[in-house]
Amino acid sequence: MIITKKRDFKDLMENLRNYKSFFLIGCSECASLCGTGGEPELAAMKEALEAEGKTVTGTLLPKTGCQTLGTKIELKKDKEACAKAEAIIVMSCGAGTQSAVEIFPDKPVFPSNDSLFLGNMTRFQMFDERCSLCGKCVLDKTGGICPVTACPKGLLNGPCGGTDNGKCEVSPDIECAWVRIYERMKKTDQLEDFKKVLEPKDWSASRKPATLNTRDKKEEKK
Amino acid sequence: MSFKSALESGKFTVTAEVGPPKGTDIKKILHEAGMLKGKVDALNVTDNQSAVMRINSMSFCKLLLDMGQEPILQMTCRDRNRIGLQSDLLGASILGIKNVLCMTGDHPNAGDHKEAKPVYDIESVQLLQVVDGLNNGRDLMGNDLQGATDYYQGAVVTPEANPIEPQMMKFEKKVKAGAKFFQTQAIYDIDKFKVFMSDARKFPVKILAGLVLLKSAGMANFMNKFVPGITVPQELIDELKAAGKEKALDKGIDIMARHIRQLKDENICDGVHIMAIGAEDKVPAIMERAGLL
Repeated sequence: MIITKKRDFKDLMENLRNYKSFFLIGCSECASLCGTGGEPELAAMKEALEAEGKTVTGTLLPKTGCQTLGTKIELKKDKEACAKAEAIIVMSCGAGTQSAVEIFPDKPVFPSNDSLFLGNMTRFQMFDERCSLCGKCVLDKTGGICPVTACPKGLLNGPCGGTDNGKCEVSPDIECAWVRIYERMKKTDQLEDFKKVLEPKDWSASRKPATLNTRDKKEEKK
Repeated sequence: MSFKSALESGKFTVTAEVGPPKGTDIKKILHEAGMLKGKVDALNVTDNQSAVMRINSMSFCKLLLDMGQEPILQMTCRDRNRIGLQSDLLGASILGIKNVLCMTGDHPNAGDHKEAKPVYDIESVQLLQVVDGLNNGRDLMGNDLQGATDYYQGAVVTPEANPIEPQMMKFEKKVKAGAKFFQTQAIYDIDKFKVFMSDARKFPVKILAGLVLLKSAGMANFMNKFVPGITVPQELIDELKAAGKEKALDKGIDIMARHIRQLKDENICDGVHIMAIGAEDKVPAIMERAGLL
C-alpha cells in the first residue's frame, strides 16, 4: 500500500488561507489503514477546519481514491456540496490528490498528506518499505528480499565493508540486507544463486513518468 | 619496477595511502607523498574518503605521476553513474594512471554532505567488470572503444567481516569480475588473518594486508566500537596503554613493524597496505623498523 503521513496542520492552513469552504475526499484503501484519510480522519479534519472558521460543504470516502473514473462516479451524489466548495482537500496519497485534480478542472486541490513509500503493514499502523517499484524485479535472485530497497546502497552482489554483526553502516537500526539475504538463501538451499554475479540494473525500466496500457488494441478501437 | 611488476615478481610489495585535502592548499600532502618516494611501491589516493568532499583522486594521481611516483586511483561508485565512472576511467588512462582500486564507497550518511543523493548506479563487482571491459576495448554496453585502457585493477575485502561467509562469496565474485589484487581492511590478528589467507590463496590474486597505524589505546577502542570489520585485540590495547600517552604512537609504529615482519617472514601474503591516517610522515619509520628499507 501507499504509506502516507499527515502534513503539519499549520502548513495546510497556510495553503488554505485564501479559501473559506471545502469539500473533503479521503480514501477507503491505504490512507484509511495509515490513519490519514479514513472516516475518523475526515471527521477530525472537518472539526479542525470548522474550529478555524472554515466551512466544510461535504465529505466523501471513496472506495479507491486513485481509481479516477470510479471516484468521479461516486462523487456524482455530492455534486451540490462540491459546487458550494471553493477548494478540495484530498486526504489520501499523491495519486488520490491527482485524481481529484483531474475530476475538478476548475477548483484548487490541496493534499493534506505527504506520500512516503510503497509499504508493508507489519503491525497496526507500522509500515516498512520492501519494494521500490524499480521496474525489473530481482527477488527471484535474492532469496525474496529486495536489496534495491533494503540496502541503502542498493547493492546487487553482496554486503559492503560497512556491514557489522548483521547491522548496516548507515544506521544500527537497519538490518544488513545482504546478511538477511545470505541467511535466508542458506536456509532455503539457494546459495548457488547467491554466488552468481548480478549485472548492472536496467534503470530505464523505472523511468518517469511510467505508463502502462494492458488493453487489447482491438478492444480499444471499439 | 611498476606496482604490477613488483607484485607479479613475487616481491613483498608495500603500498601506502594519501588522502587529498579539502581545499586547494596541497603543500602538506605533497610533502608527505615526497617522503614516501622511492620507499613504497605505489601510493593509493583516496576518493572522497568517508564521503567527505575533497580534491578528487584523479587530479592528485596525476600530480604523483609528475613527481615520478606510482599512484593507485581509488574509485568509488557513490558519486558517479556508469557514464561518469567509465568516462573518468578513460580520462585517468590517458593521464598515464595504470592502477585502479574499485570500491562501492562509504554512504553519504558518513560524510559532510549527508543530504547528497547517493548514486550507486553500479557497485564494486560491476565496476571491476567495467574495468575488464574497458581493458578489452569495450564499454559496459558492449560498444567498441577507440583505444582500450590498460589497467591493473584491484578491490578490497574485509578479512574480519562478521559474518564472514557472504564476504568471502563477494570476494570470489570480485575475483571472477577481474580483480588482480586486493588491499584488505585493517587487520590486527595475524592468526585470524592466516585463516583468511588459506581461503584467499585458492584464487590467482595478490593480497596486500591492510594495516592501520594505532596511535593510542583510545583510537583502538574507538575503532573496535565504531568501525565495522576492524577488531584490535585486547593485548595490543594493553601494550599501547602500558607505553603511556607520550610513547603510544611509537608503540603503534612498533606493533605495525612487528606485524609486517611476521607477514613477510612467514610469507603469509604478498605485501602490505599501510594506512597511517594523518601520520603519513611515520611510514618511513615503520618500514625501517620492519626491515623493509
